[in-house]
Amino acid sequence: MRWRVAFWFLLPAFLLYTVFTVYPLLSALTDSLWQWEGTARGGFAGAGNFTSLFTTFPLNRQLGPAFWHTMAFFAGTMLVQNTFGLLVAVLLVELPVARRFLRTVYTVPYLIGGLVVGYLWSLLLSPTFGPLNAGLDAVGLGSLARPWLGDPATALPVVILVNAWQYIGFPVLLFGAALAGLPPEYGEAARVDGANAGQRFFRVTLPLMLPAIGVVSILTFIGSMNTFELVYSLEGAQGNQPTGPGGATDVLGLIFYRVAFQEGGTNAIGQSSALAALLFLFTFGIAVVANRVVRRREASLT
Amino acid sequence: MRARNGFAVLAVAATMAASAACTATGSNGDNGDVTLSVWSWRPEDAAVYKQIFAKFQESHPHIKVDFKPYKATEYNTILSTGLTQAGGPDVAQLRAYGGVQPLIDAGELVPLEGKVAGLTNFETGALDGIRGKKDGKVYGVPLEMSTFQVYYNQDIFTKNQLQPPATWDQMIADAKKLQAAGITPFAVSGKDTWLLPLYNDTFAATRYGGPDFEKKVLAGQAKFTDPEYVASLDVLNQLKPYFPKDMMGLGETDVQTLFATGKAAMIPEGSFALAPMKAINPELKLGVFNPPPPPGAVVAKPLQVGWVDASYGLNAKSDHQKEALELLQWMTTTEFGQQVADNLKQVSLVKGVQSSDPLLGQMVSAYRTDPTPYLMLVDFRYGTPLGSDLQATGLQKMLLGQQTAAQVAGDIQTGVSQWFKP
Repeated sequence: MRWRVAFWFLLPAFLLYTVFTVYPLLSALTDSLWQWEGTARGGFAGAGNFTSLFTTFPLNRQLGPAFWHTMAFFAGTMLVQNTFGLLVAVLLVELPVARRFLRTVYTVPYLIGGLVVGYLWSLLLSPTFGPLNAGLDAVGLGSLARPWLGDPATALPVVILVNAWQYIGFPVLLFGAALAGLPPEYGEAARVDGANAGQRFFRVTLPLMLPAIGVVSILTFIGSMNTFELVYSLEGAQGNQPTGPGGATDVLGLIFYRVAFQEGGTNAIGQSSALAALLFLFTFGIAVVANRVVRRREASLT
Repeated sequence: MRARNGFAVLAVAATMAASAACTATGSNGDNGDVTLSVWSWRPEDAAVYKQIFAKFQESHPHIKVDFKPYKATEYNTILSTGLTQAGGPDVAQLRAYGGVQPLIDAGELVPLEGKVAGLTNFETGALDGIRGKKDGKVYGVPLEMSTFQVYYNQDIFTKNQLQPPATWDQMIADAKKLQAAGITPFAVSGKDTWLLPLYNDTFAATRYGGPDFEKKVLAGQAKFTDPEYVASLDVLNQLKPYFPKDMMGLGETDVQTLFATGKAAMIPEGSFALAPMKAINPELKLGVFNPPPPPGAVVAKPLQVGWVDASYGLNAKSDHQKEALELLQWMTTTEFGQQVADNLKQVSLVKGVQSSDPLLGQMVSAYRTDPTPYLMLVDFRYGTPLGSDLQATGLQKMLLGQQTAAQVAGDIQTGVSQWFKP
């Protein structure tokens, strides 16, 4: 009897999930196993679409750098956005006034689309007309001025910084919520024992924050693997060419875009589905493993 | 106010729908009148085309023309479905070279030789843009072309006592002089990489041999890895000191602004950039020249880069073949060509048409006497990877110091030979 009730309660969600999530994912996977002529399915390709990703020139030479740029994007975002986000979250908790106002301020860029943010920053960073280089010149630091988005050495770091600028509100909110959920007794006990602010943060707060940090890290990883629009709007995409000066900001999301909409030719569906499947498996695999590690940490805390 | 506007729009839409309904059902009107549907990717030209086709109707009173423009970025898809189904165009604007081949291969278009006598009003090179790669037949009437050359700011040249250079050494000396005067010699963009192959053809087609090299490479007698072509890629490296320091951060509009505001003396740009640059600075006094051949050049005179952009062709499924051919025939006349030049402000390819702007006239006449193709567009966009993508990627890396000219040439050859068979 109870099972029957459960069945009827679960059915709508199950149907929706199947139709709108499971089916599209599986169809992308099956699409990747066939040869395509435009939108018409041809013969069975087996692993052909997967191997062609790594054998077609110049795609085979673009995948490696794009993978590492994506990893660097993740590492840089962890380092800048999440570290700084944690700092801001901690400071906001300590702040007696204007906490809610500042939290909103930090979250505002989050509300603007990545394309808009990219366009705004590309204007600010423009080597000839942008205020940044003009400002550097004005204060006598003209030698530091450079084409920030056109120099292979600075292009990817700048993209990471702009992305962090936009999404800083995300770790601030999540860490803020986690901090608010910490029992104040631990901090007070440490204070009574004579721990200073630094000790209280590193010995008490930070270990208790690890589950939240884990979740933010996993979400950052997923976001980094799928990053696209900001790079696209900052650096533009030109036909089937690696994005950025000398391909310095080419990421996996952009390669997918090019294979699917520009370069794939008649077999675009097959080849782009194969790439999508690989991206999904990699992202999913890492996320599952990381999640397990975080859970284990969490269990050892309690 | 808004409601009233909305009402006006509705009224106009209703009128248009009504007239469209008339043309759909009554294209063979009571008195034998025929309405031809003409498709284009230039909504911005709709008003001008109305005038142009009014002229056509004066001499062809029994044929009406219904001009239907679509958004340029969606046009290819709309046209390829339109040509396969009923209700498609009678006459359609067509892309050039590789862009039109799928339609030709699918048999959607009618070959025009022997049907449109006026094709003789075009040079053979002008017809290459609309030729079937496999059968060599002509499938359209060329509408307009683009050229690419160096523009210079006449005021800056006069102030520094400079003339358009006659020799390569002269050009380098002029560039040095301008640089010493605090002016960027060449406004060149490294960010909008599609320009890089055009820069290469503009400055260095003479180095690799221009149209002769094209013939040889198409016949399989030359490769991109040949020393002449490698040396031509390196020409941009030699000019790099005279490009903006920040070129990799500058897009096309950035460099157009640099040039139009007098911060740079010269800019390699297309005929299509004349209007936008004049829009930035209407006071701008411009001249154009083609760069003199660099040291070791295979061709001893400057060459003019040019290519066909658009043509008009005939839908094989059209019910009004005879009338459509009449329209296409009219499009080969100087009457139509002059309209294209004067009112569409484009470079017409019809022989004997005077250009609306003396600079455009100079570009066309240079192209008529010493043409050279935009090699990667004209010949190497028939398969993926596109030759232009490979060259653009490579040239950017070369100018960043990440690749040598020989490596760039190697990549072009490797990529293109995946689909190109001589």
